[in-house]
Amino acid sequence: MKFLFVLAFRNIWRYHRRTLLTASVIAMGLMMYFLVDSLLVGIDRESVCNLKRYETGSLQIMQKDYWEDRTFMPLDKAIPSVEPLLALVREAGYTATGRTQFAADMILYQQDFDEDGNLPVQVTAIDLSTHSEVFDLEETLIAGRLPEMGSHEMVIGSWFAEDLDADIGYVVTLITRGNGGFYEAMDMEISGIVRTPNPAVNRNGILVPIDTMSEYLALEGMATEITIALPDSANVELEEQKLQHLVAQWEVPLTVKSWDEVAYDHVAMIEMEKSSSSVILFLIFLIAAVGISNTMIMAINERIRELGMMRSMGMKDGNIQLLFIIEAGAIGLIGSIIGILIGSLANYFLVTYGIDFGFLMREMDLGYRIQNIFYGAWHPQGIIITGIMGVVLSVAAAYIPARRATIQDIPTCLRHQ
Amino acid sequence: MIQVQQVVRDYHTGETVVHALKGVSIDIADGEFTSIAGPSGSGKTTLLNLIGCIDSLDSGEILIGDQQVSTMDKKSKTEFRRNNLGFIFQTYNLIPVLSAYENVSFVLSILGVPEQEIKERTMRMLKEVGLEGMEHRRPGRLSGGQQQRIAIARALVKNPKIVLADEPTANLDSKTGEEILQLMQKMNEKYGTTFIFSTHDVMVMDYAKRLVELHDGQIISDERRQ
Repeated sequence: MKFLFVLAFRNIWRYHRRTLLTASVIAMGLMMYFLVDSLLVGIDRESVCNLKRYETGSLQIMQKDYWEDRTFMPLDKAIPSVEPLLALVREAGYTATGRTQFAADMILYQQDFDEDGNLPVQVTAIDLSTHSEVFDLEETLIAGRLPEMGSHEMVIGSWFAEDLDADIGYVVTLITRGNGGFYEAMDMEISGIVRTPNPAVNRNGILVPIDTMSEYLALEGMATEITIALPDSANVELEEQKLQHLVAQWEVPLTVKSWDEVAYDHVAMIEMEKSSSSVILFLIFLIAAVGISNTMIMAINERIRELGMMRSMGMKDGNIQLLFIIEAGAIGLIGSIIGILIGSLANYFLVTYGIDFGFLMREMDLGYRIQNIFYGAWHPQGIIITGIMGVVLSVAAAYIPARRATIQDIPTCLRHQ
Repeated sequence: MIQVQQVVRDYHTGETVVHALKGVSIDIADGEFTSIAGPSGSGKTTLLNLIGCIDSLDSGEILIGDQQVSTMDKKSKTEFRRNNLGFIFQTYNLIPVLSAYENVSFVLSILGVPEQEIKERTMRMLKEVGLEGMEHRRPGRLSGGQQQRIAIARALVKNPKIVLADEPTANLDSKTGEEILQLMQKMNEKYGTTFIFSTHDVMVMDYAKRLVELHDGQIISDERRQ
């Protein structure tokens, strides 16, 4: 066994240029994997963070019926008398706020927007006294101020404002159906513009005071959801179960949903993008596998007489195969080390400075809740996987050539020129 | 004792059939120093390969000692070669990345001999073939004759019953070739190892104690010498 290792390492050194070239191909593939993994993990973490902080919170409590019909945002299925429920949740130690979402038609007027028009929008009515405990909104204001309680004011996202060419003081009318199905029109003045790290809020966000809406839409203290913020370290699943237990006996059937259930489309999209990244990674690895396989075939062809001699001396076929597998594994290890070192260096810049995709995020909705700079992340599990994959891939790619080394008959090997 | 009985070996190249051995029979006693002579294509190497269990015959049989080697499977042949046979090649076939010492000792490594014994036996054998002090040199830094000496040491270090040498002096000048033959002869006498070597060189034939001549896959003469 020791002899096999000595011979394998000497051979690696003997063909050091080829070893380095093959290791470089593997290193390149692994570095790509490292960086893509870092970027995906970084995007995932930041996107989820922004999603929770500006859009969904960590957990939401809704009426069961509302959850089932949530795409239609039915006000008649909102939680009745939300304050006692909020008090119960807060007493249990949670930070929570009530919100009501509804669809509306936004009417724009020529006097402010140069021409008359209308567009469908989704409006979120927020409780301004508690909203900032759950969502980071105040510090994202880039113009104006947050609406006052009971006012006919609203805050909109910065990209939305740019698209409409809207500014502070502009007035729009929101037309929607109140609780019971009646139509209601409300004149609202833009009091503030927010630019959050979450592009979904910037692109579509319209926030209005919940008490004003409650009056107009006959909500009578109802809210479509109670949103709860949890610390980053919290076990969301566990808290979800605890809350479910807490509200189980409430006067109406309630359900507690975690952020990933609420934003299932976002989660599904990230998963899909991870899958497509896996295809690219597979291709990168395929190239690396072809590289190592080719190196092994060349090594075997060059040493075919040497192998014939060893086999005639009685060396087992398994040992000959093991010899090449050790060589391939060692090349893979060298490639992994180089890939991880260079990848770590590149990842440092990715983690520190990131890549600015702002131009893309502004024009396209990729689904990520990141406004412009995509940062990488240190992902030890990814680094370990990178290293292991480098060696495993090399060994796997060398297996077939190594087997071939013992298929040819010995006299033919010995005659090989 | 090696018993080769009515051995036939054909090679097929496309539609062409080459009859390498046409019913060859020969007995070689233990400790013999035998040369298989003949022109190119006469079947010398084929006969050595069959005795060396690295090729398969089409008909006939070969017995080495009491073992029917011609019917052994691949694994058994490998084991038989490992334990009983030594090989010397025309082109030495040394491993260029290993030192003289390592080229010899690896044969013992694959036999599972303990490290200390490997060292003792390898050094003793290198001394026997006149390479003492050169054990750390790699083949590239040795002459052809010295490389063939390593090959002889490698073949003999495991104390095989039989050493098969295919044209062992063909790549050497006549003086070095003679030195190699003398060394082989010395080893044959000292250890009683059976040596069978192929050649088409008259000088080499002169060293043989038994000369078997092959022509077109058949034995045409078998002469024992003093």
